[in-house]
Amino acid sequence: MTRAQQTISVALLLTSLYLAVFMEVVPLPEKIQDDIVPVLPFWALISFGSYLLFKLGLGVFTFNDVPDAHKELMAQIKEARADLQAKGVDVGSD
Amino acid sequence: MLDRLVGLSMLIAASAIFLYYTVWTLFMPFVDDDHPLHSLFPPRVWAIRIPVILIILFTTVVGSFLSVVMIRSNRKKALKAKQKKAS
Repeated sequence: MTRAQQTISVALLLTSLYLAVFMEVVPLPEKIQDDIVPVLPFWALISFGSYLLFKLGLGVFTFNDVPDAHKELMAQIKEARADLQAKGVDVGSD
Repeated sequence: MLDRLVGLSMLIAASAIFLYYTVWTLFMPFVDDDHPLHSLFPPRVWAIRIPVILIILFTTVVGSFLSVVMIRSNRKKALKAKQKKAS
């Protein structure tokens, strides 16, 4: 089963559950039926969006610099450039 | 430093939006109409209107960007085909 099939089947399940509640196939207290049920898809959308934003912000916030790896990488680039230039490759300017 | 601030502001914004919208849509119907808490929230119709407006705006922007890119690409392709025919 591919990831797309999995996502679609979960989405279909949730949609059918929501439709059952929305079309009043399942009896619910009147207050909930009139005020809460119509709002649920929008609530789910906003919650999903804020979850994504939260995940993004967390990633940006906890992204750590690695100065040692940076130094090592720059040294390797320099070495590679010198090597290639000696062999006649055009490595551009920095 | 700046990126940590950006990340932190995104975190706070996401949590605030989620909390406010959840209280607005799921909790306020059960609060009596004369409770002072209602003064913090606009009428509940807006809880539906604002997401709908945002969805329409978003699809408009994405759709127009897509169309502009596709038209430009087709124009370039037609121009190239014409040039090839003329040469």
